[in-house]
Amino acid sequence: MAEIGAEQVVEGVPSFGSPNVSGSAPEGGEVGFVASGWRLAAREFLSNRLAVVALALLLFFVVFCFIGPLVYHTDQSFTNVLASDNGPSATHLLGTDDNGFDELGRIMLGGQTALEIGFLSAAIATLIGTVYGAVAGLAGGLLDGFMMRIVDVMLSIPFLFIVLVLATKYSATVLEESILLGVFSWLVPARLVRGEVLTLRTRDFVIAARIMGGTRRRLVLRHLIPNALSVVIVNITFVIADSILALAYLGFLGFGLQYPAASWGDMLGNAQTAVSSGYWWLVYPVGACLVAVVMSCNLIGDALRDSLDVRLRRR
Amino acid sequence: MTGYIIRRLFTAVIVTFGIAAIAFLLLHALSSSPVNAVLGPKATPQAIKAWNKTHGYDRSLIAQFLSYLNNLLHLNFGYSYKEGQSVTALFDENAGRSAYLSLASLFLALIVAIPIGIAQAVKRNSVGDYAVTGVTFTLYSMPSFLLGLILIQIFALDLHVLPALVGDNITTTWGAITHPLELLLPIVTLAAITVASFSRYMRSSALDALAQDYIRLARAKGLSQRLVLTRHLLRNACLPMVTLVGLSIPALLAGNLLTEVLFNYPGTGLLFWNALGNEDYPILLAYTVITGVLTVIGNLLADIAVTVADPRIRLG
Repeated sequence: MAEIGAEQVVEGVPSFGSPNVSGSAPEGGEVGFVASGWRLAAREFLSNRLAVVALALLLFFVVFCFIGPLVYHTDQSFTNVLASDNGPSATHLLGTDDNGFDELGRIMLGGQTALEIGFLSAAIATLIGTVYGAVAGLAGGLLDGFMMRIVDVMLSIPFLFIVLVLATKYSATVLEESILLGVFSWLVPARLVRGEVLTLRTRDFVIAARIMGGTRRRLVLRHLIPNALSVVIVNITFVIADSILALAYLGFLGFGLQYPAASWGDMLGNAQTAVSSGYWWLVYPVGACLVAVVMSCNLIGDALRDSLDVRLRRR
Repeated sequence: MTGYIIRRLFTAVIVTFGIAAIAFLLLHALSSSPVNAVLGPKATPQAIKAWNKTHGYDRSLIAQFLSYLNNLLHLNFGYSYKEGQSVTALFDENAGRSAYLSLASLFLALIVAIPIGIAQAVKRNSVGDYAVTGVTFTLYSMPSFLLGLILIQIFALDLHVLPALVGDNITTTWGAITHPLELLLPIVTLAAITVASFSRYMRSSALDALAQDYIRLARAKGLSQRLVLTRHLLRNACLPMVTLVGLSIPALLAGNLLTEVLFNYPGTGLLFWNALGNEDYPILLAYTVITGVLTVIGNLLADIAVTVADPRIRLG
């Protein structure tokens, strides 16, 4: 095969679009450096200004919540009833909550748990979903049908209700809440991965790789996983956003972490009383942080979808 | 067409059965018998055993599941010993008010989201389009109770024009309908969150429709912009909304739950929330099953409605 191809080039009749074997510029004009798919995706992502801002905002919140407490020292373990519900002042930049904790420090602490739970539950959901979807897609037939009906059933039960029912027993620690949210968030990634695997199996390049003698291992590792990865990555950002929102709902409805641990959701638990008492600093700053992080994740997800999906990529 | 509907119905029945099975298993895992709620924490083991025997909680899991299914088929969702009432009676009492809240906000969301989406598509990439997208994206990323709180802050606490909570005088569905001022904030809160997701879909579906040949033809015939939009675009661009309304039932019910808790509006959401606090599992699982079945029905109706409404989709 290779010899014939080389002969054709020597004979000087290269067809259009044939690989440029000799190294000189092709006749059709300049061919720019063709980057790998990931590098192209990264370039596309970075050209979306809104997404870059969102990414910067998310990184800012990670730094703010995890490094912030090292700079802004507050006491978050001993209550101080005498200094409860104080408005913003020079000593407490965002005032204090009903236990006398410094609100800004508490936002940093609550942000840590919110981000941890968001990322951890997304990791759990993605892991379960990817494995489940890949097994169903590769197995096909009856097993696939059975596995997908289970997904249908679980998708029909509204997420918030089943999570709340279980939260009556299991929502006390970061790990418990992450597992609880992750265990009911893997359904969409499972469907996505299965769909990808099903279409990829019949795509020309996979068939070509198989005909050329590619082993099963090579097919899965080099072709199926990298190509299915993009939908999974896009989904991760949405799961993080949904988990942080769900956490807020759990906290508001009174099923948050065990005291003294706190997440942004739990801090909004008394939002109603705080608003009616006029303690705005206990509601709006933490609410704004929550909305900013959720919105960043959604924006990053949208931009990633645009940049990773070759079909949507503008030329 | 008929074959497709029959097949969809068949899947819906299977999925409903699956929902019932999951709810039953959950109920069992969380509280295998309501005996503690009935006899209290100081009951003797013998009394517990005897109560379980007379009420059938000592039977095998399969036997209990079969009688649970039988009860479900007869719309018997069990008995709440904490409320001292059958779950069906409790839902019967509250469902009307929740349905009113859901439907009123859904209606409001549709009549706001459809024109907004079309206007955004017509004036795409303008300052107005970006502004609306920014607002809807923010609402989309916001917990609905936070929006409700902001509305309470503005309209109830600062301006004193609307009540912050729904009053105790609303005891019937009719009472809810005849007190529009008290329900304005809950309905607007729920509708705003729905508008956030609906208008995004409406914008993209109107964009798709605008690029179609029949719109160009209508323009070429010399029709005014208004006629093109109302006669030709509206109907076609609204088709995806049919599906979206059917699929939005879980979100709507979740929104109902949060809005009812926030505004203290007596509906099934508030019933569910109180049951959460009391660990009243018959109510919790009944609600989970009902919302699941409503979701299945919503998906089913959405699929059927879209094949009826769109002659281009004719599934065999």
